[in-house]
Amino acid sequence: MTRKPRGRDERSPLSSLALHATLVVATTIALFPVVWVLLASLKPQDAIQSTEIHLFDHPTLENYRRVLFETSFPHWFLNSVVVAIFTMVIGISMSATAGYALSRFNFPGKRGVMWLFLITQMFPVAILIVPIYTIMANLGLIDTKASLVIAYCSVAVPFCTWMLRGYFDTIPPELDDAAALDGLGPFKTFWYVVLPLARPGLAVTAFYTFLTAWGEVAYAIAFILSDKNLTLGAGLQQFVPRFNPQWDLLTAGAVLIMLPASLVFYFAQKHLVAGLTAGGTKG
Amino acid sequence: MSTPVVFDAATRLYPGSTVPAVDRLDLEVQPGEFLALVGPSGCGKSTSLRMLAGLEDVSSGSIRIGDRDVTHLRPKDRDIAMVFQNYALYPHLTVGENMGFALKIAGVAKSEISTRVADAARILDLERFLDRKPKALSGGQRQRVAMGRAIVREPQVFLMDEPLSNLDAKLRVSTRTEIASLQRRLGITTVYVTHDQVEAMTMGDRVAVLKDGVLQQVAAPLDLYDRPANVFVAGFIGSPAMNLGTFAVEDGDALVAEARIRLPRATTDALTTGEVVLGFRPESLERVPAGTEGAFAVEVLVVEELGSEAFLYGSLGAKLHNPQLVAKVEPRSVPAKGSVVHFRVDPERLHAFSTTTGEALPTA
Amino acid sequence: MSLSTAAGSGVTPGPARRGRLRRTFDKHWYAWAMVAPTIFVLGALVLYPLVRGILQSFTNLTETNQRAEVCSKTLGGAESCTPNPDRWHWVGLHNYTDLLTGERGHFWLLLENTIVWTLACVLLHYLIGLGLAVLLNRNFRGRSLYRVLLIVPWAVPAFVSAFAWKFLFNPKFGLINSVLVHLGLDPVEWFNHRWTAMFAAVVTNVWLGVPFMMVAILGGLQSIPAELYEAAEMDGTSPWQRFRHVTVPGLRPVSSTVILLGTIWTFNMFPIIYFVTGGQPAGETEILVTGSYRAAFEGLRNYSLAATYGVVILALLVVYAAAYRRVLKSKGEVW
Repeated sequence: MTRKPRGRDERSPLSSLALHATLVVATTIALFPVVWVLLASLKPQDAIQSTEIHLFDHPTLENYRRVLFETSFPHWFLNSVVVAIFTMVIGISMSATAGYALSRFNFPGKRGVMWLFLITQMFPVAILIVPIYTIMANLGLIDTKASLVIAYCSVAVPFCTWMLRGYFDTIPPELDDAAALDGLGPFKTFWYVVLPLARPGLAVTAFYTFLTAWGEVAYAIAFILSDKNLTLGAGLQQFVPRFNPQWDLLTAGAVLIMLPASLVFYFAQKHLVAGLTAGGTKG
Repeated sequence: MSTPVVFDAATRLYPGSTVPAVDRLDLEVQPGEFLALVGPSGCGKSTSLRMLAGLEDVSSGSIRIGDRDVTHLRPKDRDIAMVFQNYALYPHLTVGENMGFALKIAGVAKSEISTRVADAARILDLERFLDRKPKALSGGQRQRVAMGRAIVREPQVFLMDEPLSNLDAKLRVSTRTEIASLQRRLGITTVYVTHDQVEAMTMGDRVAVLKDGVLQQVAAPLDLYDRPANVFVAGFIGSPAMNLGTFAVEDGDALVAEARIRLPRATTDALTTGEVVLGFRPESLERVPAGTEGAFAVEVLVVEELGSEAFLYGSLGAKLHNPQLVAKVEPRSVPAKGSVVHFRVDPERLHAFSTTTGEALPTA
Repeated sequence: MSLSTAAGSGVTPGPARRGRLRRTFDKHWYAWAMVAPTIFVLGALVLYPLVRGILQSFTNLTETNQRAEVCSKTLGGAESCTPNPDRWHWVGLHNYTDLLTGERGHFWLLLENTIVWTLACVLLHYLIGLGLAVLLNRNFRGRSLYRVLLIVPWAVPAFVSAFAWKFLFNPKFGLINSVLVHLGLDPVEWFNHRWTAMFAAVVTNVWLGVPFMMVAILGGLQSIPAELYEAAEMDGTSPWQRFRHVTVPGLRPVSSTVILLGTIWTFNMFPIIYFVTGGQPAGETEILVTGSYRAAFEGLRNYSLAATYGVVILALLVVYAAAYRRVLKSKGEVW
């Protein structure tokens, strides 16, 4: 019996099947909760809390209408957009410059900075809320978006710096040398040569900082007092009274929150692997 | 308008290290000269070049370009251009933008930039590629862009750090001559770093040999070949390498296997021990019949036949610290492997070195 | 870190030293300038509170005794203040002994939960992430689509996924119980038992955290040169041996960092436990972070106890990181 010999890169139908089956199962698990929330958000309130399994049950946009028009959701949404974008821009600027310095220069204090970054990851955020609240109160920033932007930057910047440092390490240092000979100082080298080459790394940073700010709850609840200044994460907590969550509003709100996040994700995902690789391999 | 370059006891000590990477380098590069800096890897040649470029701190001593002390100047204030080993072209800029980048930073007018870039592109035959990104070019083309970037600057000094080492053998040979002739035409003082002594010998007006951060010798290529200052230079320059071995000296004769080689009076006078390091190049060996005076027997191990020439690798007992011996032989009548042949050293072309210092001993 | 760069480190005459300091500054000022904003923000918002927290952990500071003065309004509207008689004071290691002996709170229960929680999450994150990354690192049709879809959970804000899973695990109408009933099994009261509640939280966190691991490991896999696999294949190795001797060592730099970071993050993962189990049943699934949060914010705000928790958490993680680093170093990894 002769069989067409299999090429090196082909695999047997059986292992191909196993591969796809595994990935389909994994993908299903990855997507299912999101899809289920989406489906639930289209059901009327009583159908959400039904024990029967229905993909669709009198589909309606009523939940969305109520979230959008009967709550301060649009306000919160706008606040979140502003906070997330500012966090993103400021966070990237800070972590990119710091990451570049850590990647390229051997300066006194460098080890201390690296340790500071690690320590900040270790101290539980929950404990920091009170003292940071005091600081913000002293600065008169309570109930402002600025307080959130600053706090989120302090959360996101250490990891982003560490990641970007790894990414900058993969950019050949000869380019910096060439730039120095071409007449660029360190800041201009950074701006004209290194940053344009670090797009994948920056994309991951953008994604990460955006997400940090977008869905955050604890700081937002602590710092923001008035309803119109709330961000999404904090605002949605209003739908969760202690014992009787309003699943109808909650599911619709959750879907609306996920939309911009997926948008950012969509733009960043192409670069995620490349951007994170460098950060991961060069610890 | 050519400019000399002077290293004055320039030293580079890396923080945390006790051995300087470059140790009191004294070197003068003449205006318009092509100086090749050569040595094995880790000898400090690249560090020296980077010190001149301003990419590496000078721990002590000084460096002058023309009559300016540039020791602590920033790279951009030194009026130099450099070609890097991996070319260091900006991946996000086109060829033309790469070449004109330094001028743009310096605030040169756009029209001026484009004429200068166009001129350089014409010289280097890059006109068709000006709008491409470096990624889309072959290795040889990228090399030319790196050259072009340096030329456009019209600097006082060119620095080149192994610019040919990423090219294949054939392209390297042709580019070698291109760079040398281009440099001669532009007349710009050039310091060229390489680990390849053939490159150094063929391109340099003079060649400086470094080892372990210490300058061994600076001389014109032929001088270096004919009168190496010490054992290291003798062994490093020339391909195949010079035969070097330590031999006992008796009554003014060196004992090379069964042969006695008469040493010049000046050499024996300078000896401090009963031994001498002798060196003779493959082409200084003359094949002679057995029994000729001063001849020694060599057992043939391998013969490399290159067509126009042939090299015989044989063993002369265990007396050479390189147990092999290389001799250049007639390419059309090579001895068989395993046979024993006899050689005599041309006394005029015998090199003698001290066993203690490795310095060359006078031969006349 | 020494400031001197030149060889001679003996007696330095004044002007030369000033010159050297100046040179050090000239050489490093831009590096310092580049890290300064970050250091400033982190210093103000993390380091300063951290130091304050450490100090507070040696006091009995709470919401009620934090004021220096007690003020009362008189009828005329004027205020009269007297020094607070019950003002906070230093208590030495009192908080720590209370905490560690279980006098206040359930430290050992929380620690046990934290360790189970962290171990389970990090292990599952890593193994599932590794498995998916190895699959995705092959060449086949549709792989980029799988990759995008598998990363989706990363883009979901933590509290949203917490609610999504809480919704699925809901004992009354949650999908998981509905499926169990349909399969003829008994529904599970997920949040009435310590380990089932913990299980629900772990599932949520694994779901949330696998994409990051997967992407990081995928990047690590792609940085292993293909020649190594080819060489191993020429040596006659089986696929499993190749995985064992090429993939695993090749991933070590990535693995070591993501596991360290993953452990720290999971250890301090607040929203999942807080929102999914909320400590149910009766605080039995509380971990250290949520426990400290409750100490600080629920009921009478006990700042000093919360700070003590924080310091203990920090100490545990510092010891862990240092030990981890030492192990890596002994294996020749530079981190």
